[in-house]
This record gives sequence, C-alpha cells and structure tokens, in this order.
Amino acid sequence: MALRLVTRNLRNRISPKLCSASLLHSHATSFGFKEVREEEKSQMVGKVFSNVASNYDLMNDFMSAGLHRLWKDRLVSELSPFPGMKHLDVAGGTGDVAFRILEIVNSIRRRALQDPINDDLQEETRIYVCDINQNMLNIGKNRAIERGLGEAKSLVWVQGDAEALSFEDNSMDGYTIAFGIRNVTHIEKVLTEAYRVLKRGGRFLCLELSHVEIPVFKELYDIYSFSVIPRLGEVVAGDRESYQYLVESIRRFPPQEKFASMIADAGFQKVKYENLVGGVVAIHSGIKI
Amino acid sequence: MYRTVVNRILLSGGGRRLLRQPDLRTVISSSRFSTTTETQTIPNRPLNPPDSSSLSSSSTSFQTPPAAGDVPRHERKNPRAEYEGEQARVLQASLRHVLRLGWSEKAMIAGAKEVGISPSIVGSFPRKEAALVEFFMDDCLQRLIDRIDSGEELQNSTPSQCIYKLVRIRLEMQAPYISKWPQALSIQAHPLNVSTSFKQRAMLVDEIWHAAGDETSDLDWYVKRTVLGGIYSTTEIYMLTDSSPEFRDTWLFWIIGERCF
Repeated sequence: MALRLVTRNLRNRISPKLCSASLLHSHATSFGFKEVREEEKSQMVGKVFSNVASNYDLMNDFMSAGLHRLWKDRLVSELSPFPGMKHLDVAGGTGDVAFRILEIVNSIRRRALQDPINDDLQEETRIYVCDINQNMLNIGKNRAIERGLGEAKSLVWVQGDAEALSFEDNSMDGYTIAFGIRNVTHIEKVLTEAYRVLKRGGRFLCLELSHVEIPVFKELYDIYSFSVIPRLGEVVAGDRESYQYLVESIRRFPPQEKFASMIADAGFQKVKYENLVGGVVAIHSGIKI
Repeated sequence: MYRTVVNRILLSGGGRRLLRQPDLRTVISSSRFSTTTETQTIPNRPLNPPDSSSLSSSSTSFQTPPAAGDVPRHERKNPRAEYEGEQARVLQASLRHVLRLGWSEKAMIAGAKEVGISPSIVGSFPRKEAALVEFFMDDCLQRLIDRIDSGEELQNSTPSQCIYKLVRIRLEMQAPYISKWPQALSIQAHPLNVSTSFKQRAMLVDEIWHAAGDETSDLDWYVKRTVLGGIYSTTEIYMLTDSSPEFRDTWLFWIIGERCF
C-alpha cells in the first residue's frame, strides 16, 4: 500500500518533468514534421535560410498579405525605444525590426532638437543585429546601404548563435526576436541567453507565428498554410521544401501558454502574451528584474 | 456605504495599505483598456537557484527548490512584489524630474536611470504617463491617510473645519508641481485614463468624509461625496491660475465654495 503511494508520488513528480523534457526534446529533434538528430537540425535550418534569403522579404509580403509589416510595427511600439538604448535583435537577418527601432529613435531626437542631452544619447544608441546566417545578414547590410544607413554607427551587424551569444552579461536594454525562435534547436537555451545579456529592467520581446484556436478560422488557416504557402514558395521562390518546413515548424512550436511559461521559467517577470489576428501571430514579452 | 464597511473591516485587519490597491491598477489597465485583442498574464515564478536540474518542472506548484540553502518560505521574495517594487521606485524617482520634463516618458526614463534600472522598464508601464500621474495620486492619498492617522490636527474640529483642513493638506501636496499640473489633469481626462482617475478621486473624497466622521448610510452618502468631489475639482482648477502668496486665494475660494453648498 505504502509502496503504491510512493510510486504514485514518484510518477507524479517525474512525469511532468518527462513531459516537458519530451516536449523540448521533440522541438530539438523536429524539423517540421520530420524527425532529425539534434546536431543536424541547426545545419538543416541554415540551409533553408540560405536558400530563402534572397526572396525572404518578398515572400513575407506575399504570405502575410503585407501584414507582417504591421506586426513588426506593433512589436517595436511595444518595445518603446529611447535614445541611447542598447538593443539586440536576434535572428534579425534582413533588418526589418532594427530599421524600425532606429527610425523611432531618430524621430524622438528630431522632435527634441533643442535638447542637447538627447543628442549625445543619440550617438550612444546601438542596435545589434545578430543572425546565425551570413546570407541573411548580407541582405540586411545591403538594405541598410539602400536606406542611407550604410555608415550609421548605431547599426552593428554581428554573426552569432542565439544559443551562445557573444555579448556580455547585463549589457542590453532590449532584446527582440522576430520569427526566429521557431527555428532554434534549444528554445530554453535561447531564453537563458536572453536573460543573461539583458540589464535589470530590460525587456524581452518575441514575435512569432503561433497557434490558432478559434474554430472555423483554424480550419481556414490550416488550409491556407498547407495548400497555399508551399505552392507560393514553389512559384515565387522556386523552393517548395523550405516553405513546407516553415508551415510545419509553426505547428511544432509550443502553444502560447506553454511558451509563456518557458519564458517565466527562464527568470523573466511580468510575462504576458498578446494574440494578433486570432493567434496567427503572438507577441510574448517579459522583463528581467 | 459598502466601501466604508469594507474599509473598516480592512482597517481592523491592520494598516490601510490595502486601500492603495496596486493590483486594481494592473487589472484595469490590462483587461479593460487594452487596445489589443487579447492579453494574458502569466503568474511569475519563484526564483530558481542556478544549479537546479536542467529541466524545470512544468507544474505551477511552488515547491521549495532543493539545495538552495534554508530559505524559509515566508522570506522568499515574491516575484510579483519585486516588479511592483521596482516600478514604484522608478516612479518615485521620476517625480523629481517632473518639474523639468513634465509628466512624460522622458521624466520616467530619467527616473529609471537615477535608480539604476534600464529605462526599458518604462515601456512596460501600462499607459505610460498615466502610470506616473496615478502613482502620484495614490502616493498623495497615502500621505493624507498617514496624516489623518497621526491625528493631531483633526482633534476638536467640527466636520466642516476637518474637511477644510484635509482638502488644504491634500492640495498643498500638489503645490510643488503646480506648473505642470494642467498636463497631469489633461492626462487624467484622457478617455483611456478617465476611469482610473475617477476611482482615485472617489477614494480621496470618501477618505476625507470618513475622517470628518461621516456616518450616513443612505442616499446622502452619494450626495455628500459627489458634492465634495465637485468643489474639490473646481478648487483644484482655480489653484492652477492662483498666483497669490501660498495660495491664499485658493483657500478663500474653497471656503466660499463650501459655504454656498
């Protein structure tokens, strides 16, 4: 009798651990709906992004009917950038989020033109764009040159791995990752690294494709994802496989609540998420205190 | 009437801190006035020691982490309180910059830098400038309550004198910020913020009547508070353009206003 109680207690304590272990393990070994070895995943994702890099922005526009621009606007307005901030945008390859942040900081400076303090701070603003894929970074650098930001000291392009950042502890005011965390091998490592590099009071913001639960809309969204998007990828970018990976990886990513609890487990406080377009996209945020 | 009863019960429990209701602010801002479609908040985790097993438990039970040293449960820091505490520290420091920078994000950023926290935290305050103004209003209310509790000035006063003294004390708290107070009023009047500022003023007026010894429990309860609220607001606005020494004219205005009613 006592033995049964003990085993039940043990099982209750172990099985949640096993559950979360198996979920994380499954993310680390899933490449869309395929099962792969952990060591291979990073390479396979790398290949996907090297393939899509040149058409990345165009395809984003097509797939989301231009909505991705609004989502990124929303992400950056949530962040509330300020002059003098040190910001890290991870998996920010082509620079969408970084350019928006820079624009806001510049507009604050223009509005406060008479304020000498702000001018100095403006000089200190640094936005680090970190991406594991050099092709994506190159596209981003070219876009910066096109916008006249080629010589801007505030934009720094760094190649690096989100799971092992080369930045110091407590050095960043803000950390964003837009449409990138789905592709990493170990989500919890990325979250731990994010916590490490943020200063006290720093904010973590994640924009990611997420799960839709609304009844009819869910079915429509599934049809759109699995029938339209790979076909679009084939026609526009000549690469069906990569876009098949894209839609599958969305389904394998943890749902909103689960991801939010993972963020909280990494040590962040005031963790919350906001669904956009019924859950097609979610912005998760947390603060390091 | 219910509020007075609830207040008395809370009072007997010790301390009027509960009237502050910081949770109310958070609840209001996140659920009612969020302009987003949905926003959910996750309860904070207690801090785990760095050497805990690599997988954190997915259950939300608050088990004391092993090998963390013997930290008694009641001493373990409540993460939610930490954030609220830091927010309060930043806002308190920001008040010192209001005269120079107004009730604005810039003042709050300056406050955060003063306290040694990244100004990014300002981005997480609900309705930013309103957070600063509401903090100030709550702070003034708390100080007023403390003055009432200490009791010396209100002994041997008629209710009318009591109300006069309390309103004067309260308005004098705003006097240092009077040059920027119109901005604060306009922030409070913004549709998104009106509900919270109304609640704060209702609490203020209720406190004053309660301190003056009001025991009514019928329709008069509402009438008294509405009237006091009205005269208080008018006096507050009069104070904005009063340049007499130590706001003498404002106190005169108050007495006249009170007599009329």
